[in-house]
Amino acid sequence: MTGRPALLLAPALIVVAAALLVPLALLFVVSFWTVRSFRLQPDLSLAAWVRFVESYGGLTLYTLGIAALIAAICVALGFACAYALRFRAGRHADALLTAMLISLFGGYLVKVYAWKTILGADGILNGALSRLGLIEAPLPWLLYSRTAVVVTLTHFLLPLAVLPIYAALRNVSAESVEAARDLGASRAAVLRRVLLPQCRLGVFAAFAFCFLLAAGDYVTPLLLGGAGGSMLGQFIALEFSTRFNWPAGAAMAFGLLFASLGALALVWAALARATRP
Amino acid sequence: MSRAVLFLCLAFLLAPLALVVVFSFGSNALIGFPLGGLTLRWYAGLAADPGFLSALRTSLVVAIATAAAATLTGALAAFGLVRAAPGLARAALGLASLPALLPPLVIAIALTALVVRGLGLSLGTPVVVAGHLLIAQPFVILIVLARLASLDPAAVEAARDLGATPAQAFRRVTLPQIRTALVGAALIAAAISLDEFIVASFTLGGGNTLATFVWGKMRTTLDPSINAIATLILALTIGLAALALRLTRYHG
Repeated sequence: MTGRPALLLAPALIVVAAALLVPLALLFVVSFWTVRSFRLQPDLSLAAWVRFVESYGGLTLYTLGIAALIAAICVALGFACAYALRFRAGRHADALLTAMLISLFGGYLVKVYAWKTILGADGILNGALSRLGLIEAPLPWLLYSRTAVVVTLTHFLLPLAVLPIYAALRNVSAESVEAARDLGASRAAVLRRVLLPQCRLGVFAAFAFCFLLAAGDYVTPLLLGGAGGSMLGQFIALEFSTRFNWPAGAAMAFGLLFASLGALALVWAALARATRP
Repeated sequence: MSRAVLFLCLAFLLAPLALVVVFSFGSNALIGFPLGGLTLRWYAGLAADPGFLSALRTSLVVAIATAAAATLTGALAAFGLVRAAPGLARAALGLASLPALLPPLVIAIALTALVVRGLGLSLGTPVVVAGHLLIAQPFVILIVLARLASLDPAAVEAARDLGATPAQAFRRVTLPQIRTALVGAALIAAAISLDEFIVASFTLGGGNTLATFVWGKMRTTLDPSINAIATLILALTIGLAALALRLTRYHG
């Protein structure tokens, strides 16, 4: 392959420009338009943005909170998994990593569906608990709740958290960990002073992945969240599918995106401060 | 301690998928133990369901088109990245990876807005392929890039010194060494496409892919045939991914 680098990069970058950057720019413009009798009118109106802040500000903050909780759980579990894969798995490391990678696939909807059958009122978990005599009536809060959303999204996103942390831990030598332990550092100190400073970027990438995908998800809260577990994504999807109010949906989508990026900037600043070696 | 967490997490990740597979062979219409007798009834029902067969066909067409296009653009980009100046390479890789970071919902509505309002075209499988190409491309780039980085540049230089043209050196020296990575990347792209629901549901217009077909069934009833379709999706995506991991010998 002999072409110039820019020429070789061109097709992939054209795809990104045509299928992402131009559409995003148009969507941003549409957020300032208005709708009259189900027709989009080019306009320069802040109505959709005002509506986003007034009607959905609280739900946006709640959505970011849930997403942060899910991302934190994924990063904590993901770090333990990646650490075990890197330093504790021995000759099984390859097989275990493959199992972890495999679990990335298998169908997003399939996973949501599986949890619906597990957590349902006549689902497996309630059935098992009542047969063991631990409960008398099905626990209603298992399905259609915040808990169901957190469990399902953690299940979906955990492998995505493990991979960047594992990649970062591969650059950390076992000797540096042992040296710190030999010099009397506690486990917590090793984590904070030795491991985290060296894989800060991987941990942040894992958090950012999980946070952005959880914040933007609408399928899980729609199917498993019930009334108490609603998230902003559902209402964005609704504006585009049945309500046909694209400006509102566009303003909400960009509002969520900007708020998410702002939150991630705060997380990065906090992480950098906490893990200064 | 961390090892216990790893095993518990793997069980947490894999057990729900295993349950779906087990119940797809159970005769009970309700999902729950006891399982009832073993049966292939749900699979037989699917094979006779024209709605399912047309969804399967659409999914395969989209997945194959996505895999072919993403492998081409992604592999070319990977070749460009190893030759580009560090600054350009970093910027280009960042830009190409952007779709993997954004929520699929944002990609789906932006693409819909462009096609319907910006271009005045109708939705359909070509739009789904464009969306899936966008999402699968960064994974192809990373896989091919990892393989290219492990190649010894001396082999190509030796071929050139021995009088091979650049095209000959590529075809006889580089290509044989990266062929498995290309096949692996294509399989991953196909698996991502088969699995993808959100972009497909917004941009398909009419008809169904496997994912939107499952969605339709999930929203109406708890139909036991969902277990059978889910098992097929599992087998397809995990089979493709496992094959790709073997081929590319990808290790994190």
